[in-house]
Amino acid sequence: MTTQQFLVSTWSWDGAAVVFSAMAVLAYVWRFGVNGRMLYLLAAVGGFLLIRISPLNALAAGYLFSAHMLQHILLLLVVPALALMSLPRHAALAWGRALPAHTLMAWLAGVGAMWLWHARPLCNAAVSSRLVSALQIGSLLVLGAIFWRPILAPRETERMSPPGAVFYLFSACVACSILGILITFSPVNVCPIYLQPPSGNRAVLELIQHNWGITPEKDQQIGGLLMWVPMCLVYLGAIVAQLARWFAQPLAGPRTAERGLS
Amino acid sequence: MNADTIPSAITRLLTPAQRQHWELAWLSSVDHKRIGILYMVTGLVFFIAAGLEALLIRLQLAVPNNHLVSPDTYNWLFTMHGTTMIFLVAMPVLFGIANYVLPLQIGARDMAFPRLNAFGFWLVPFGGILLHFSFLAGGPPAVGWFAYAPLSETPYSSQPGVDYWAVSLLVFGIGSVSAGINFIVTILTQRAPEMSLRRLPLFSWMIFINSFLVILALPILNAGLVMLLIDRLLQGRFFLPFGGGSAIMWQHIFWAFGHPEVYIVAIPAFAILSEVIPVFSRKPIFGYEFVAVSTVVIVLLSLLVWAHHMFTVGLGHTVDLFFVAASVLIAVPTGVKLFNWSATMVGGRVRFTAAMLFCVAALLQFLIGGLTGVSHAIAPLDWQTKNSYYLVAHFHNVFVGLIVFAILGGLHYWFPKMSGRMLSERIGKWTFWLMTIGFNLTFMIQHLLGLSGMPRRVFTYPDLPGWGAMNMLSTIGAFFMAAASILFVWNVMTSLFRGKPAGENPWNAWTLEWATSSPPPHENFDALPPVRSRRPLWDAAHPERPDPVVPLGGTLDAFRPDRNKAGVMTFIISEAGFFGVLMLAYLFYNATPRSGPGWHQLDVPKTFIFSVCLFASSFTIWRSEVALRSGRTAKMIGWLAATILLGGIFMVGQGLEYWHLFQSGVSVGLDLFAGTFFTLTGFHGLHVCAGLLALLVVLGVTLCGGFKNRDMPALGPVGYYWHFVDVVWVFVFSIVYLWPLLR
Repeated sequence: MTTQQFLVSTWSWDGAAVVFSAMAVLAYVWRFGVNGRMLYLLAAVGGFLLIRISPLNALAAGYLFSAHMLQHILLLLVVPALALMSLPRHAALAWGRALPAHTLMAWLAGVGAMWLWHARPLCNAAVSSRLVSALQIGSLLVLGAIFWRPILAPRETERMSPPGAVFYLFSACVACSILGILITFSPVNVCPIYLQPPSGNRAVLELIQHNWGITPEKDQQIGGLLMWVPMCLVYLGAIVAQLARWFAQPLAGPRTAERGLS
Repeated sequence: MNADTIPSAITRLLTPAQRQHWELAWLSSVDHKRIGILYMVTGLVFFIAAGLEALLIRLQLAVPNNHLVSPDTYNWLFTMHGTTMIFLVAMPVLFGIANYVLPLQIGARDMAFPRLNAFGFWLVPFGGILLHFSFLAGGPPAVGWFAYAPLSETPYSSQPGVDYWAVSLLVFGIGSVSAGINFIVTILTQRAPEMSLRRLPLFSWMIFINSFLVILALPILNAGLVMLLIDRLLQGRFFLPFGGGSAIMWQHIFWAFGHPEVYIVAIPAFAILSEVIPVFSRKPIFGYEFVAVSTVVIVLLSLLVWAHHMFTVGLGHTVDLFFVAASVLIAVPTGVKLFNWSATMVGGRVRFTAAMLFCVAALLQFLIGGLTGVSHAIAPLDWQTKNSYYLVAHFHNVFVGLIVFAILGGLHYWFPKMSGRMLSERIGKWTFWLMTIGFNLTFMIQHLLGLSGMPRRVFTYPDLPGWGAMNMLSTIGAFFMAAASILFVWNVMTSLFRGKPAGENPWNAWTLEWATSSPPPHENFDALPPVRSRRPLWDAAHPERPDPVVPLGGTLDAFRPDRNKAGVMTFIISEAGFFGVLMLAYLFYNATPRSGPGWHQLDVPKTFIFSVCLFASSFTIWRSEVALRSGRTAKMIGWLAATILLGGIFMVGQGLEYWHLFQSGVSVGLDLFAGTFFTLTGFHGLHVCAGLLALLVVLGVTLCGGFKNRDMPALGPVGYYWHFVDVVWVFVFSIVYLWPLLR
């Protein structure tokens, strides 16, 4: 099997994901109507569908830990962020003073999701059991949304102050880096189920190990490094956005007011 | 203060009463201005030492097959040169400039913690003396400034030189962290009322951001040094491959500190450039926000990319690839800065004073140093040029071409403020040209030497075509730089006594340090001008066209946390980094169960009970604070005493555990489990003891009736620290005691 054949042939159909995506779009249109911000939602839904039906999912289903990790990062950090950004500015997130609205809880949700799902038994179970896998996807999306809420809540008043957000994001980056470092350099296998790839399709295994040259050790390293470096770059991008927001903050209002005074 | 009646510039910093005992006035000072100058003078003294070492190195390399110094001497020469220049010259001088300028620039009277400031400074000469004491104690260290294991371990370096090296770096590390904490808390709590965080001059902003890098990066080195010292003095084996340890681990720890360290000294240099270039271009900085934000990006990225120092170690292509990408990314925020400085000069009325000349040269030389840096970030190129003179040329372009030039620019710029007198522009320009010619002659040519294969750190070289001539030119260049340095010191000395009086603001600059007399009085300012933008003195001088007002939006611009709490919180961030490294080391070394003594000798249930005592003490200290707030002193004392008792019980439990282990023959040097276990729990225990001492002091003062009126600012911060110690134990207990249960 060549890489090209692999990329063409391994698209899979996930009815639940398609139904879920369609429902998300319909709910959005019903609640907020069609508007410019809907593009973010379409990106989120598109990303989600790609994660579920593209060859990435085929790789994550037992072949490559690193593909699994890439899915995690997208599900936890990218899809929920895009979904939150799609909400119109006036939309209130009706959590009020509930526990997930607390900053520390939100931080723990984001960081904890990453740590928890890489505990060895859970990591294995998520590959072998469909139920656990669905649970994992759902929890990553929900916890990701909880994590991003203090940064990306549609209403300015529900967001953290930008320097606070910088600390929030940076500490999350450090917490995930530590796990990434551990996975990268760990002499033991984090998710041993990937050591016994599905025996059904020898061709895929052949492609991965010989054409791509990804051994199980390398696979785990790539997984750890994905979590360490690119994931931190996502946080870093958000940090830059926060600082930009800070320096751009109410220039119109108070500026003219203070000028008027002086 | 009447400046005219005072005879000399040196004594002008002192009041008449202090002049009677001027030695004491300097030695016992807690004034940020005098401490700043002490930092710089100390830096100068060690600059002379490290400069002489550099000249000896260049003399040895002037001709091929030279035997002026022996190979062993050469080894300690480059070790001491590197260590001294980084820890005893660059850092102290930059901290000194920041110490002097930062409080003035934000309109403060002094640093947030003046005594801590003095403590941080005095650790520098103390550490410097310790490092140089190794000459008398069996020979200086000869392992290079990064002291790679296992060369730095006892079997290969049995003399105590490396011990002195490690202890003195530990001392600098503690001093630097205390300085970093002080800068952060000063910016947060001591700013003039109108000086919002978004109105900070770029110099102050960049020192503020850089200080976070200091408190995050130095603890990593401290943890590594502690482990190295345990290896050397207590027969540990963290970095000894034949004892099961990992020499690569030392490289990771060192460069996780070492790469940020480059930025710890480069960002203050950027900060100086960002002040001097606009003033002498007569334009505000181009794109303040971009310079400010790119600084944050550099700081965060620099913590991510250390493995690019280890491409030749053999981490594997996968690891290399990620770090190539991340390292190349740093060029983006750095390039943004270069564009901003250049664009500031474009269309400005540029005045090439000595200060400006140094800064412009710094910019150009750093462009080259930065580009060769990018070439080192490309792994295959790095394999070819690592440990050649190309690398030497690269980092000297950064350390000398950027940092030393920026320091000289900054000193020419702020000397009038510090002394009240102008430096001679004529000598300044001579200094500049000698320095620039000398620097480029010395280091430009080393790029070629490196590309033609000359290795670094080898005491001599064969007579290959062109090598002798190029090395000779390089040596001649070094002596040009020496001449420039002497000229600079001469300029400072003569100008102190005979320089033109400077007045308040000789450069027509715009930031607050120029709004007071030169040198400033002890309390810094009589009255502050209004601050509405980033250039308050421009606004005062040009009321008809002031800078756009930087708004005071929201609560954050007025953010001023409690001084003591902010101090302890910053300290806790730093300490978390230290424990983070120790915990990662524990996890790494104990990832696979080993034979021999280990986890199964720990008494998990007993330790769990003692741990509950420690966790309960977090509750009792919280109750104590609540009682204090409601004014019930007796209750507060009771809860406080309970906290101390619980903490004490925990320590007894730890003592029993240790006793039990020692009885069964488990000691630090036995194996890696024992080494990591005792290091991690031992340092935690040490922190518990420090917390107990602090609590005892609070209790003692309370019992003596020190806090009659509910006002006890100490309990809150001590409580924070105590909670931190407990949280660390949650992690330590989970990793050491619980994690093996799950395996």
